[in-house]
Amino acid sequence: MIAQRIPTILPELTFEEALEITKIHSIAGILKENNQIITTRPFRHPHHTISAISLVGGGKTPKPGEISLAHYGVLFLDELLEFNKHTLELLRGPLEDGDITINRVNGTLTYPCKFMFVTSMNPCPCGYYGSNDKECICTPQAISKYMAKISGPLLDRIDIQIEVNSVKYEKLESKELPETSEQIKKRVNEARKIQQERYKQEKIYSNSSLTPRLIEKYCKIDNNCKALLEVAFKKLGLSARAYGRILKVARTIADLSKSENIQKAHIAEAIQYRNLDKKYGK
Amino acid sequence: MLSITKTIALYGLEGFLVDVQVDISSGMPSWNIVGLPDASVKEAQERIKTAIKNSGYELFSRKIVINLAPATIRKEGSMFDLPIAIGILRSLDIINNPNLENTIFIGELSLNGNLNPISGALPICIEAKKLGIKRIIMPKQNQQEASILSGVEIIGAYDLSQVVYYLNGNIKIQSIKTNWEEYLKKRKAYALDFSEVKGQENVKRAIEIAAAGSHNCVLIGSPRLWQNYDSTKNTNYFARTYF
Repeated sequence: MIAQRIPTILPELTFEEALEITKIHSIAGILKENNQIITTRPFRHPHHTISAISLVGGGKTPKPGEISLAHYGVLFLDELLEFNKHTLELLRGPLEDGDITINRVNGTLTYPCKFMFVTSMNPCPCGYYGSNDKECICTPQAISKYMAKISGPLLDRIDIQIEVNSVKYEKLESKELPETSEQIKKRVNEARKIQQERYKQEKIYSNSSLTPRLIEKYCKIDNNCKALLEVAFKKLGLSARAYGRILKVARTIADLSKSENIQKAHIAEAIQYRNLDKKYGK
Repeated sequence: MLSITKTIALYGLEGFLVDVQVDISSGMPSWNIVGLPDASVKEAQERIKTAIKNSGYELFSRKIVINLAPATIRKEGSMFDLPIAIGILRSLDIINNPNLENTIFIGELSLNGNLNPISGALPICIEAKKLGIKRIIMPKQNQQEASILSGVEIIGAYDLSQVVYYLNGNIKIQSIKTNWEEYLKKRKAYALDFSEVKGQENVKRAIEIAAAGSHNCVLIGSPRLWQNYDSTKNTNYFARTYF
């Protein structure tokens, strides 16, 4: 499964990041005796039966939840639509703010939770809506009922939406060896270094943490790009939040290709990662 | 006699300095712990008394009053065991060390006097460093996570009597330091690799972008699509038993 391999290409931790992660894991009491300092980005993948409290944190004296344990790492929710709707909607604030404040009788605590949210889902109950190789047997009502389990605002907070299609037989048989994680990681590391250098003054580590003010400062685009964005907006009916997200993703694509400015091709690639908007017209 | 020993209590990710004040006087034998302790701190009584006895020190029937100051904040957890025990031993003049101004103690005691690991050792040490503490005495099992910090002396001890000998100057304990770069080298390699995933170039590219900028992403696909490729590697997940 692709998602399980994400940790192998995540960028190296800086010392400050490692310290912060270790702090949270230490409070939660989950450090292993032979590995007391966290050196790799955490990959948390709770089952979909998880309760609201254990996801975001809580208790009489609040303890960190899965989202805080995934700080500077990945929170992976497999089969997103199987999760309790109420539980999922709790992610809205943390995804936007990067921290969570928990109020309990013993006091109010804030835990950081700047995680990368990765999730997988099926497009419809039978799983073949929009697929090239098999007919979908769901009624439009069934599909909209299925998609209603997750709210638009939550999906809107997801920068990259990708459709995974089945692999052609020739590809499975081909002797050509795909890229190794190490090769990908090298590029990812370089792109992340560029970001850390650029945001030294801003106290953020990556493009995803850019605020609207910072987007204006660091994601400048020329008229060509603006025209392209305008067309995409009219055609796809994107939200204002989607606008910022496209620019952030475009910034990362530009960093990966070591380009100082965002170019038209970067914007175009970023737009095509808004698959869900296209598919369900959300 | 009165003694004041320092420790740090955690409130979320933040810590605050706690003075453990122990007074031992003659009178009706009793044990009183005040300063808003919760159940786990009140329970400490039995652990501490037994641990002191089993470490070879005599705790005569006295009137013992313990105050955890500031008394307005609730204290939680078992890490107060060691500072309270040290406070008692200082009050009894078993420990003679006047230079404990910049030293804090954390640790849980077991009945035989051994120190048990606690959770939250690293945040405690970070806060201690901020508050200008120079030396931290803690359970051996916790010392590695704390030793990544520079500027504070981290002393790990196995049991209560070792701490007493150390404070009385009978033995020396070397503080340890962990170098971040060196520690990174000891990291284990992942069992999985992207080279096992054939095809799906567009997905891999998207994941690469997501990882580079820490972007959220959702993978939408038909069922059973993702599992196809790892059949060869699945064996990694099963624990093998050798006889």
